[in-house]
Parts: sequence; structure tokens; C-alpha cells
Amino acid sequence: MPRIVCIGPYKPQLLEPERFQLFVENDKIIDVNIELGYVHRGVEDLFTKRTYMQNLALAERICGICSGVHTLCYAQTAESIMDVEVPDRARYLRCIYMELERLHSHFLWFGVLAHTLHEHKVFLKVMTERERIQALLEYLTGNRIHYLINTVGGVRRDITPKKAERIRDVLKDMKDLSNYLLMLLNNDGVFVEKTEGVGVLSRSIALDVGAVGPTLRGSGVKSDIRRDDSYAAYGEIDFEITTEDEGDVLARTRVRARETLESIRIIEQSLQNLPEGEISVKPGEPLEKEEIGRAEAPRGELIYYIRSNGTNIPERVKIRTPSFANVFALTEMLRGDNIQNARLIIESIDPCFACTDRITIIDRNTGRRQIWG
Amino acid sequence: MAETKIAVYRFMSAGCNGCDVQILECLVPRYKLGELGIEVVFTPEEANVLAVTGSLNIKGAEELKKAYEKLKPPRIVVAIGNCATTRGIFSEGYPIVGPPDRLIPVSLYIPGCPPRPQAIVSAIAKVLGAHLDEEEDYWKAPEGFRGRHEFDVEKCMACGACAQVCSSDAIEVSDSDGKRLIRINYARCTFCGFCQDECPTQAIRLTREYHLSTDDKETAYVTNEVEMLRCHICGSYYVPSEQIKWAIGRIMDKVAAYRDLRKRLEDAMQICPTCRRKIGNIENAKRLLANLTIKTRKS
Ligand code: SF4
Ligand code: SF4
Repeated sequence: MPRIVCIGPYKPQLLEPERFQLFVENDKIIDVNIELGYVHRGVEDLFTKRTYMQNLALAERICGICSGVHTLCYAQTAESIMDVEVPDRARYLRCIYMELERLHSHFLWFGVLAHTLHEHKVFLKVMTERERIQALLEYLTGNRIHYLINTVGGVRRDITPKKAERIRDVLKDMKDLSNYLLMLLNNDGVFVEKTEGVGVLSRSIALDVGAVGPTLRGSGVKSDIRRDDSYAAYGEIDFEITTEDEGDVLARTRVRARETLESIRIIEQSLQNLPEGEISVKPGEPLEKEEIGRAEAPRGELIYYIRSNGTNIPERVKIRTPSFANVFALTEMLRGDNIQNARLIIESIDPCFACTDRITIIDRNTGRRQIWG
Repeated sequence: MAETKIAVYRFMSAGCNGCDVQILECLVPRYKLGELGIEVVFTPEEANVLAVTGSLNIKGAEELKKAYEKLKPPRIVVAIGNCATTRGIFSEGYPIVGPPDRLIPVSLYIPGCPPRPQAIVSAIAKVLGAHLDEEEDYWKAPEGFRGRHEFDVEKCMACGACAQVCSSDAIEVSDSDGKRLIRINYARCTFCGFCQDECPTQAIRLTREYHLSTDDKETAYVTNEVEMLRCHICGSYYVPSEQIKWAIGRIMDKVAAYRDLRKRLEDAMQICPTCRRKIGNIENAKRLLANLTIKTRKS
């Protein structure tokens, strides 16, 4: 008889409430149930009660970590609905803001990892440094988390030379931080010891279950929406898509750490090549049609679907968040691993349940609920 | 202060995480949470303070009550962020049963979306009667920060455009006793700044003020009151006086030829739309009558 171990919803130090039911035999995890719903807010329904513009503030509040990319992906989809072309300067500015967000998101994640591994000094160092990006974003946009910088038709605030200076300044220190993290991941310390060979996700399973973002790239698949279906100014910028082949927690960690250096490169190039001109245009009337938009959030591919009936209120908005795609990979990673590693593995997909908490999955054959929303 | 250690347990349901990240950031040394002798703990049993975030959904409700029961005295609950204060932008969400103070007593609200870590630490220090040196630069919000609103009472004409565009239904417009009241509930606001962008007279400004904590959330409003104009015919109040002045001013600016008509325009505006329509009808009736008379004469 397997023993059932519950993690959550409010007990462990997970950032968000969710409940994992693990079926364990001799310390080995044999099956997993994930129960969500503690963060459910009915967002997709709320989307159909507000205008396209007002919905920007709502999209942003789906997630308090990758808020910016939600507004970006939403705005891009709405721009297709309204058939507007975003000015060049805005496209580059979007890259800058979004990569700053990726930086603080990845660093936050590293902080959480350090915390899980009881590396308090590293935790504090990462959090302290990372906080500077949050302060920088506050200075650039007017809010620490909900920048509301993207709008339908462009961005709301420009980057002046003075602001650019400040960004460059912070980036210098962030580069040091990234290198420090990579150093931790390349020598024999705790960070390697505890994560190597843990929660392995093979390339083929990763593809089968539809994993996205760093979770997929950590299993050796070169996939990134910024390149595959390029948006904003990513098509004109030189950056590398980082991958690692091992598919374990360490690989996913390395992917994220290396990605921070790429983000810094993207921001530097965008600042360098920032075109002159307008930062936004006035969007036209919504056309009667449906559109899908994608963007690479810090956690992977984010998808927005909007159906418009020609009024200024969308008829239907559907969102597929990266963490939702990765939850299936998570079940695979947990299965077969040691119960001691459960929390580490869960964290390794950098789950964001504020994003995901909108669904129930029921196995068609057995009627069993695998993810509860 | 008695020597009770403050141990905070964080509880989130139906928020976006933003506030939770801010609480984490309070742990960064420069925000001095440690200096106040506060620690963050991971079970409600170890805690005597509960920090709630999120607008609370049906699933979190039971868990919140349980967590509250387990707290050690003095069992202080702090609601952090606008979700936890008023449900904020998620107010109309179908699974939402909050805000948390519907279920458990809340002693302190820290509005913001999210509140800055500075706001959280400072509010807690105030409650503890502790003094914090807030000298360093980062205690001041940067220029362009979107904080609590301020009305320019000279400019606001109470047209209500702000309420129309508000992303969170945070602005109420109500008329009574010949006055129109505009009330901004900053504990429900998202600080999107749409009101500021949309105001035709630039009368609303989001300031750098972010210390918004309060023990009475009914005080979390910024208001402005403007006189209404009375209809010369029926006597009802129908539009803010300033709005009419503004509208006439605009017409004069746009079409110079109308300048001579100013007086007549002003007179026409003294009559409410309902009465105007009635008068219109009277004129039509007169014209019809006249036409009929002419016709009868001809025949
Ligand atoms: S108040 Fe704002 S930042 Fe805080 S949880 Fe709610 S939406 Fe997120
Ligand atoms: S900033 Fe203004 S428009 Fe935006 S939510 Fe607040 S009151 Fe409403």
C-alpha cells in the first residue's frame, strides 16, 4: 500500500498555495495528484466585462512576477484585432522592459532555490541584488510590479538617455551576479550536489508532454518563442538560446542562469540600437475576428486568444500560461524520484500558480482528476 | 514594547503574487524588517501575526479560518495590498468571497498594488511604536511613481471621464443636493494611471505618496466636490457648472465665428436636456400648426 504524502496547500514554504498529493512507496514517488484552485479568480470571465484598454490592468494582475509579459502578449494579440502596427522604438523598448522582467524573475527563482537548499547567505545576496532591478523598474515605469508599461499600440513611457544610463549601471552589477551564480553551478558546492541527477525529464518526454521554456530547454530542446515566432524587436537582436542536455534540476538551473546573461546582452543591444520616433500609436476600432498571440515569458511560452465581436469589449479571452504546460512535465519528473527531492523538483519548473490556476484536467479514460482547479 | 517577538505567517488566496514578492523583499536588509525584530515563519502555529494577501476565494476561505485559529496571541491580522483590503480588481470574480475581513478581524490595512516594501515595513513599525530611520534615498518614491491621487480642485469639473476609463471601478460619481461628488477609492485602485491620462483638464495626478496604511479602510478615499447647475425651467440639477463653462470655452476656441453667440449658447445651456427636448417639441408643434394654417388658407 503506498503512503500518501501531502505538500501544501499552506504548509510548505512554497511561494503560492497549492496542494500536491504524492503516492509514495519506499520513499519513491509513484504517482502524483496536483490540486490547485487556491489562487483562482475567474480572470477569463472578468476579461469579458471590461474594455480592451482596461483589460491591460487585469492581464497584468494574472501574475505578480511576470506581469509585464502578460500585458505584452495581450497587447500584441489586441493589436492584431485592431490591426495596428507598433512603432519601431516601442518594439525595442518592449524588449528592454521584458528582459528586465526576465532577469528579476530568474533571480527570484534562484533565491527560492537557495532558500530551499538552506543557503541563507546566497538567498540574501540574490534577493538584495535582485531588488535593485525591481527598484529600477519602479523608476522607469512608476510601479515595482505592475508596471503597466505595454499598451495596445506601443508602450507608455520612454527611456531617456538619463534612464538608459541608470539601466546600464544596474546591468553591470547584474552581470556580476549572473557570473557568481554560474560559478556556484560549476563547482562542487551544494548547488550541484543537491540538484544533479534529480527530477530528470528526458528530451522525448519533455516534447511529449508539451513542456515549455527553461523546463524544455533544460532537456536539450532549442525552443524559444522569441526566436521561433519572433515578436517585438527580437528578430533584429543577436542572442543565444541556451540549452542543457541533462534534463535534471541542475540543467534547468543552468539554463536560467545562462539566460540572465543573454537578457543583459539583449538589453544592451536594444539600448544601443534604439530607433528614434514615437513610442505608441492610437489603435483603431476592434475588427470582428479572432486572434492568437504568443510570447516567451520567463517560464516559457505564453498564449493569448481573443475573440472580438467588433465592440470595445472582447467576447472571449483564453490564456494558456507556461506553468500550466509545465505542470504535466512536473508529474513526470516527480514520478520515480525520491520523496526527499519533491520540493526541489516542484520548484525547478519555477511554477507560477497565480498564472495556472484556472483549470481542471480530467483523464478521459479513467475519469480521474489529475490537476484540480 | 513588551518582549513579545513578532513572527509573521503569510497567507495568500486569489491574489497575483505581487504582494507576496514584496513581503519577501522586506527581508532584504535595507528594508530593516530585521531591525524591528520581526521574522517570517512558515507555519501559523509559530506565528502571532498573520499577513494576508489576495482577495480570498472560496477555496482559500476555510484555510484562512484554520490558519487564524492556530495563531498565537495577540493574533494580529494585517491585510497587505488592495486585493486583501477591498478585493480590488478581482471584485467581480465569481469565486471571490473576500476580502479577508469578512471572515476574520483585520487590524491594519496596507493599500497598494502592490504596496512598496517600504510601505509595509514602515506601517508595521508604526503599529509597534518603533522608530525607523527613513533617511536613505530609496524611502522616497521616484519621480513618475504612481501613488495616491490628488485632485486639482481648481481644474476638476467633475465630468466623470475618469470613472469611465478606470480599470478597477475605483471611482464613484454621485450627485446629491446640487453637488457632484467624485470619490476615488485608492484601496481598490490598480494605480494604472488611466484616470490621470484621460482627464480632459489634467485635474487628477498620481502622486509619489505611498504610505497608505490605515486601520479604517473607509478613510481610503480621495474626493472632490463640484457645484451643479440648476435647470432654469424644471429646477433640477443636471450638470456640473464647470463642465458647461469648459464646453463653451472649447466651442469658442474651435469655431471663432461662434464667439458672437456666446451669450445665447450660455442661455441655452441653462436648460436641462429633458426640458430642451420638450421645447424643441413645442417649436415643432408650432411650425406644424403654422403650416397647417397656411395650407387651409390656400385651399
Ligand atoms: S493587491 Fe495588487 S499586487 Fe497585491 S495581490 Fe492584489 S493584484 Fe497582486
Ligand atoms: S489609477 Fe485611476 S483609473 Fe487606474 S484604477 Fe486607480 S482610480 Fe482607476
